Amino acid sequence: MTDSSQGKPNDITFTDVTRTFVRGDGQEVTAVDGVSAHIREGEFVCLVGPSGCGKTTLLQMVSGLLPTSGGAITVGAKQVTGPGPDRGVVFQKDSVFPWFRVIDNVEYGMKRRGVPAAERRDIANRYLELVSLSHVARAWPKELSGGMLKRVAIATVFANGSDVLLLDEPFAALDYVTKHQLHDVLLDLWRSTDAPRRTILFVTHDVDESLLLADRIIVIRDGRLVDDIAIDATRPRDVDTLTRPDMMTVKHKLLAHLGLEHGSRRSAAS
Amino acid sequence: MTRTAERWISLAVFVGLILFWQLLSRIYTAEIIPGVPLVPGWDVLVSRTFLSMADYWGGGLGVASVGEGAERSYAAAALSVVTHSWDTLLRLYVGLAIGAIGGTALGLAISWSVWSRRLIGLPMQLIQGLPLLAMVPLFQLWFGTYFIGKIAFIGYGVGVLFVAGTLNAVRNVPQIYIDNALTLGASKLEVYRTIIIPAIFPELRATILLSLGVAWATVIGAEYLGAQSGLGYILVYSQQYGYVDRMFFVALLFIVYASISYAVFNRVSARLTRWVPRASAPARVA
Repeated sequence: MTDSSQGKPNDITFTDVTRTFVRGDGQEVTAVDGVSAHIREGEFVCLVGPSGCGKTTLLQMVSGLLPTSGGAITVGAKQVTGPGPDRGVVFQKDSVFPWFRVIDNVEYGMKRRGVPAAERRDIANRYLELVSLSHVARAWPKELSGGMLKRVAIATVFANGSDVLLLDEPFAALDYVTKHQLHDVLLDLWRSTDAPRRTILFVTHDVDESLLLADRIIVIRDGRLVDDIAIDATRPRDVDTLTRPDMMTVKHKLLAHLGLEHGSRRSAAS
Repeated sequence: MTRTAERWISLAVFVGLILFWQLLSRIYTAEIIPGVPLVPGWDVLVSRTFLSMADYWGGGLGVASVGEGAERSYAAAALSVVTHSWDTLLRLYVGLAIGAIGGTALGLAISWSVWSRRLIGLPMQLIQGLPLLAMVPLFQLWFGTYFIGKIAFIGYGVGVLFVAGTLNAVRNVPQIYIDNALTLGASKLEVYRTIIIPAIFPELRATILLSLGVAWATVIGAEYLGAQSGLGYILVYSQQYGYVDRMFFVALLFIVYASISYAVFNRVSARLTRWVPRASAPARVA
């Protein structure tokens, strides 16, 4: 948390953010090209775009793991200069430390921040219960399934008390059922936590996933922000929600952005 | 195959080897010097050869040495084996510990930053290229032929392995664990303490096993070239007089001690790496 006069403690501001890479052949590639946006406190925003569009790069710059080439990212009133516990990340690949037991993984961030042992154990146990993993608190990660490991990762960032959560295609490698269970786990945690609600930036290439989860969908293509769509549907949403006419309109729009619908491709590139 | 069946087969092979040696000693009876067969059988090894170890007993503890005019006795022989083994094992493990801890620490330090790589990395690469046993005389002149000289030499031989092994293992730590720790609020030092060190341990297993072998080679090498005690000293003495049976006896002691070391190491490392997927049955080396 930061004391701020302009921004809320956990909103995110992108100001003309650019990121370039030098490829192996010496050519310079622009992965993120002049993105400006404002994510309000407590908003659940999905970043959608085709593979290689720069959405993951954008997320990594918010996490501070990757520096920007130009422009600035501000979280609360503080400009991002490196990774920190105010911005929790759930990665696509398994990030749970295999050499710590499940409970010690959930406590990891709190321990680094000097939270007293008894207190952090309480918090860790509470979040393990919220993700239905109390029974494996003392297990080694190798004994858990992929879906369970994702639950551990989610419990870990929530337990660490981050104001902003960054999720980088976290459920892309999971099966259909597990993925939907985890959507519920994530939404429940996000909605149940005491005010102020955490801001979530969720990268995905799965259109239905973004429609089920987001308050707002930002579309990235070729490193540029090309669309910004508010989703008004009430929660909880289910398969029926997705077939509502207004949702279908948004879905068609997103598919067009992804280059999957003929005719609309040109108009979307504006 | 079940674990029990494997054990029985190992035991059968072991007994077979012992019997084969005994048989060989009966078939091939040539002697290098009168009374000393080139292939000493078990009957010779446990009686006359063992008794001859009394020659290396320096006296004390109420057991007179051969040098003091006493007859060879089993008590003197046993004391001799125990004390010379103790000297060698002490040098071995102190040197091994210094080399392992120092080498790992140096490897971690080199991996810390670009500047540490530049400052320590290149000199280390140059040192690694030196042939180990050729360095024995140099170490003796620098550190003397006493305890310090020997453990410095073993520590150097083992340490070089650990630097290379640690550097390689650190390079192989998946970036995602480091990134995850950083975003959870860990400092660089905490990343080393809680991520790098546990993550490299399974890969260092190979280095540790390799270094046990190098440690044995270097401790004997160091004793071979200059020592008044230790198993290497008995080896040199025996070689000068052509006592093949004594040399074989010392070699057997090496096998026993090395086997115990490997077994203990496997036990400890199995416990330390129980989090590693499929590490419940570690590759057996002893």
